[in-house]
Amino acid sequence: MIVSNLELIPGKRIAAHLGIVQGSTVRAKHVGRDIFASLKNIVGGELKGYTELMQEARQEAVDRMIAEAESIGANAILNVRFATTSIAVGAAEILAYGSAVRLENP
Amino acid sequence: MDALFELAVFAALLATGFLAGRVIEQRHYASIRAREAQYADVLAFGFRFPADRVTPQRVFLVTGTVVVSADYFKTFVAGLRNLFGGRLRAYETLLERARREALLRLKEDARRRGARMIVCVRFETTSITGGWAPSIEVLAYGTALIPEQTNRAT
Amino acid sequence: MRLENRRPAEGINASHENPLKEFAWLAAGSVALLVAVVAALAFAAEWLAPRLPYRYEARLAEGFDLAPAPKSDAARRVQAELQALADRLAARMALPPGMQVRVGYREEGIVNAYATLGGRTVFFRGLLAKLDSEDALAMVMAHELAHLKHRHPAAALGRGVAVGIVLSMISADLGRGAAGALGHAGLVTLFRFNREQERAADEEALRVLAAEYGHVGGAIDLFDAFARLPAAPREENIPAIEFLRTHPLTANRIAAVGEWAKHNGAALDGARRPLPPAIAAIRTRGERAS
Repeated sequence: MIVSNLELIPGKRIAAHLGIVQGSTVRAKHVGRDIFASLKNIVGGELKGYTELMQEARQEAVDRMIAEAESIGANAILNVRFATTSIAVGAAEILAYGSAVRLENP
Repeated sequence: MDALFELAVFAALLATGFLAGRVIEQRHYASIRAREAQYADVLAFGFRFPADRVTPQRVFLVTGTVVVSADYFKTFVAGLRNLFGGRLRAYETLLERARREALLRLKEDARRRGARMIVCVRFETTSITGGWAPSIEVLAYGTALIPEQTNRAT
Repeated sequence: MRLENRRPAEGINASHENPLKEFAWLAAGSVALLVAVVAALAFAAEWLAPRLPYRYEARLAEGFDLAPAPKSDAARRVQAELQALADRLAARMALPPGMQVRVGYREEGIVNAYATLGGRTVFFRGLLAKLDSEDALAMVMAHELAHLKHRHPAAALGRGVAVGIVLSMISADLGRGAAGALGHAGLVTLFRFNREQERAADEEALRVLAAEYGHVGGAIDLFDAFARLPAAPREENIPAIEFLRTHPLTANRIAAVGEWAKHNGAALDGARRPLPPAIAAIRTRGERAS
């Protein structure tokens, strides 16, 4: 599965457009991390716990998007975009979406 | 007495936020500059279409993400600034740091996976509420390209 | 095609100026803004409150026991004498419609008297014990009645409420600590009148005094009595100088009395009337005790 935010892939031809696929997830970190993060708020700097939370969540969203694409017989997702919304303290929804296509060698 | 105690706590938090926040920020900038030199061989571009559209390339999505928090001092200064309006310098440096850090992590991801070129780089910024100070997440993503010929040659 | 990544110059999107500089400017600016807002609101409220109809003030004052009834028979007699004097003087003043002056008496050693909401004024035993004649007492009474006439307690309340509201509004922004400390200061100053109000009350009192007694000797007696109070009181006497501290300097007031008398053609001296019996008894009791 080729996943890219390009609209075309160099040296490949799009044989079929199969529609939009998406993957999303809502994640929160456990209370301990939140307490640590609020302490870290005094001095500032990177909140590693939240960085990891976002990374894992984004990976999951991409995996779900790929699963959708596979279910409709695509071999690539192009023009992928991400969207993030924080829903509550320490919780976020991560969305990945793109166009499922069938690519061929010319 | 209570008011005096609260005032003292507030002053202590402000001083801690300022001193620690400044040290953290300066260290972060030093680290960013060092790594920017280190990752200068990974090229990142914003254009939507690769410069070379003919040569077959291996393509994959790369991401770099970071969550940074403002400190107590920055938050307080920003609160005061809200009264008058104008540039929130305290947050400008925060966002600049986050964006450069995310771009660096994007390059890190690309190089780890063998690519030297990222195109169609996009940024996404989200504010994460909670705690005393706002935190922001910056995500950088793009498509890494590895020309097929180079692969065969090496 | 040439592909390269050049590094842009630093400090374009974010300045690396010391943030303390910005902080200092902002802090100074906020304090100035706060002071300006508080002053403007306090001034507006102080101006507006006395212009509201008196019945609102009366209704507000009903909820508080501002002039408590005296407990002993002797105190009740003193209170009745004070009330009679107040009624007599009030007849010579154009009090706001509907205002019923009520005098309270408290058996405490403080050399003070105050006017408050709802046409109430309260006298302390400590003050009455310092007075030699009805004329001097009438000067204090007329002064307090003048505060009531000009609605100064309502103005002070308006100012206090305005300051309180501003401080409670900024407390969310500046942290409760700072606002809490300022709020206490606001409460302390709630019932203080400013110098302009004191001057106005003195002038009105002199007018009433001259009309009632034919001279303003009572005012001179009163301020002389104040001048004899210990200048540097010990710690436990602090309440005793309250009246002096919140009022203009005694020497200035004596000079002002002379000036006013000259300007209005009133006599500076004349026969004094004796104090009413129950009030006069306070002084003799005090002298016997010491």
